[in-house]
Amino acid sequence: MDSSLLFNLATLAYLVAMVLYISYLAFRKEGIGKTATIVTLIGLAVQTIALFLRWRESYQMDIGRVPLSNLYESLVFFTWSTVLIYLVVEYKYKTRAFGAFVLPVAFLALAFINVAGISKDITPLVPALKSNWLFYHVLISFLGYAAFGIAFAVSMIYLLMDTDDHGPSGNLFIGIGAIVVLALLGNFMASQGERLKTAFWMGLGVLVLAWFIYLISVGAKHKHQVFLFWSICVTMTVSLLIGMGIDSISLFFHPLAEGESFKKHLFEATFLNASAPVAIISWVAVIVLFWLIWSKGMGLKNLLKQYMPALDQLDDVTYRMIAIGWPLLTGGIITGAVWANSAWGTYWSWDPKETWSLITWFVYAIYLHARYVRGWKGTQMAVISAVGFLAVIFTYLGVNLVLSGLHSYGGMN
Amino acid sequence: MENQRGIIEIAADRVWKFFSSVKLAVVLLIILAIVSVIGTVIQQNESPEKYLAEYSQSTVQLFETIGFFDMYHTWWFVLLLFLLTANLTVCTLDRFPHALRIITAPLKPIDDDSLKAVPFKKEILFKGGMDKAEERAVKVLNARRYRYIESKSAGMTQFMTQKGVLSRLGVYITHTSIILIFVGALIGSFFGFKAFLNIPEGSASKVVYLRNEPMWDKLMSALGIAGSAVIPNPSGGVPSMPLGFYVRCDSFDVDYYISPLGQPTGMPSEFHSTLSVFNLDSQKILEKRIRVNDPLTHNGITFYQSSYGTVPEARGKILLNVRSKTSPDSAGELVAVDPGASVYVPSINRTIMALGFAPYGIRNPATGQVMFYQSQNDEYLNPTVEIEVYDGKKPVYKTYIMKTDAGQPYLPEGYIISYVGYWGTRYTGLQVTRDPGVWVVYTGFILLCIGPLIAFFGSHRKLWVRVQDRAGQAVVMVAGTVNRNRMGFEREFNIIFDEMSK
Repeated sequence: MDSSLLFNLATLAYLVAMVLYISYLAFRKEGIGKTATIVTLIGLAVQTIALFLRWRESYQMDIGRVPLSNLYESLVFFTWSTVLIYLVVEYKYKTRAFGAFVLPVAFLALAFINVAGISKDITPLVPALKSNWLFYHVLISFLGYAAFGIAFAVSMIYLLMDTDDHGPSGNLFIGIGAIVVLALLGNFMASQGERLKTAFWMGLGVLVLAWFIYLISVGAKHKHQVFLFWSICVTMTVSLLIGMGIDSISLFFHPLAEGESFKKHLFEATFLNASAPVAIISWVAVIVLFWLIWSKGMGLKNLLKQYMPALDQLDDVTYRMIAIGWPLLTGGIITGAVWANSAWGTYWSWDPKETWSLITWFVYAIYLHARYVRGWKGTQMAVISAVGFLAVIFTYLGVNLVLSGLHSYGGMN
Repeated sequence: MENQRGIIEIAADRVWKFFSSVKLAVVLLIILAIVSVIGTVIQQNESPEKYLAEYSQSTVQLFETIGFFDMYHTWWFVLLLFLLTANLTVCTLDRFPHALRIITAPLKPIDDDSLKAVPFKKEILFKGGMDKAEERAVKVLNARRYRYIESKSAGMTQFMTQKGVLSRLGVYITHTSIILIFVGALIGSFFGFKAFLNIPEGSASKVVYLRNEPMWDKLMSALGIAGSAVIPNPSGGVPSMPLGFYVRCDSFDVDYYISPLGQPTGMPSEFHSTLSVFNLDSQKILEKRIRVNDPLTHNGITFYQSSYGTVPEARGKILLNVRSKTSPDSAGELVAVDPGASVYVPSINRTIMALGFAPYGIRNPATGQVMFYQSQNDEYLNPTVEIEVYDGKKPVYKTYIMKTDAGQPYLPEGYIISYVGYWGTRYTGLQVTRDPGVWVVYTGFILLCIGPLIAFFGSHRKLWVRVQDRAGQAVVMVAGTVNRNRMGFEREFNIIFDEMSK
């Protein structure tokens, strides 16, 4: 038996568990919930065995390295830690309500690496990576990311449960208007060359940042705006996953030229497609999705209402996950720094990955200070937690996809 | 005079208040988080040509002025870091005495007035009288490992206890660690340097070439107080830094991953140099084989294996090892021969002539035929030496000695010749640093690992158990406070109360 077969079995188990958790919410049968937990446990056990098998296989290939060294392995380990931490939360808080949100992420991440054509080979390590620090650095960092991931999922639930109604449709039209304008502007600027494309992304970044700060400072008073934020976060997560899925399918049929990187062609199959009709259809699809999520959000809330713990308990889960994740992130940054010092003689060189991990660290430090010292609770904290997880995603994937830096082993190809 | 001092005092007070606010900390963290993004979007420390290809002339000039091309070392970014550190320091100094007072404060019995402010309290009528009630309280507290103080007054006994009082230090440990890291980084940039050094095999150097001059030396020589140890480069190139000793590269080698077919893949698995350190009187002090992730340190200066390359036009020596086939594990005899020259090897009574050297040879396993390939940057992927073996003047056979095939199959006589090296043709690239602040930073790292754990997972819990005589009946009241993790404490509190009322 080899590890890839077991990884596929684990993926399948998570798919079944995902369906079970969702039907648990829909049909309200205790038995379904119990089965979901058992299937998840089996999936986790199988994945654990697979991880060890892959480790052993690397020794059989005379390479002998920890299975935490490239994008494929890190994604696998990310899902493993997420499921593990989720099960701990389920046990501690005696609620299965989060399963329907966490398991889809675990399943989609595993499914994504299967279709995206990310290399699964056990490749040998370059000399700089041959260090015991590699193991600790990656292990600690990813456990932290997983805790933040759960904090994000719970904050998203919080924001949904926190909303009483979706507010005036004017908000929706403003949201859709913004997407349309940005889509047109983005497409136009991207067509004008690399320089304007960069400018577009930078401008978008500034806008988004301003919006975050607005929501964090006055979110509690403007819950309709926060619900808009929630709808956009959910729409984005879903459409990014779908967009990348379509990308990987199109790459399957039109493989890249030798040495060309996956990241240059991200979303070219959908949102950034050269053919205008395809791009327009993709953006319209996103808008329809956004409208669906925004208008059906309250229905989802009513469905979830009886399963979800009280708001302050959701707030507490988020805090606890961040209180676990932040020390782990700190440990991940520190082990990385000590390792860099033993390899290159510099513990900090401000390379994009390092800097982004520090930015993430700052965001969660803001969360902790706002909570402890300023006594913030609830809506705004959930928004900060969501923003923090966006920074995590950017640190983990965005830096490798969008920026260039030294952390080359995280690369897509 | 009175008035003036007043103004200064007011100003000092204002500055102190400004720096002791957590609002400032949050604002600084937000600014740092946002500003840091810029340097990850704009590539740092690239050549001007590359920037001009990416941005327009005026943009480059603007970015240059603001310092976006080396953002993390600009005065304003360092100032932000400095403000955050000052903020942390003042916050710590401002609040620590108060925390210390709480930590060292003795436990006091609680009166009815202060009881009003206690968030957790429950009362029950205890059946069995005062003595039994007190006995029960002692038993429950002991079982839960609470060390208590007893206080008796008229008609009332109180048991006071607390746990996790030191968890109040967690936040100060965390903040101190960040201050330490900042201070360590400052020490490093003031008294340390980063440099590089390429040494060919067999050569030595007593200087290294600087990337960063120590700030202290720069400052002192600029002020004319003391001369800098740095030797400027007269032609305007990289200045150098004397080491105070010699470092020599004795040998250098690269290992490559071998493909399943037994051929090198071209991907280095490891590269390593043997370095020797000599004092200025040429006495050898130490020797170490360094590799990536395993440097050599002498006198606070550390040499990291970082790169390698071929010395152009170098004439090296071919090194071969000769040993008997009957004892293949013996050390054998090391033979050095110039390319094109020959050497007599007494242990086998043969003369070996080195006909030529190639960096990348591959032998067809079926035919035994050897092909030569071009390798990138002249890397020695599979160094191959063509030799001819003579018995006196009489040629016996010609063969190729390759690094990968260890010699055996193609040597007809009773000995093995294997490839050791082509010595003197490559240089080792070393990263050299001196960082006296690194231990301060590491201390900060350790504290930064411990501090948050104490702060988040510890909590200061205080409990009072009051056994009161009310008209001959014992009334037990349990009261408690906690500074964090209320839900966890509530659970514990309820368990204690239930046990108390059994």
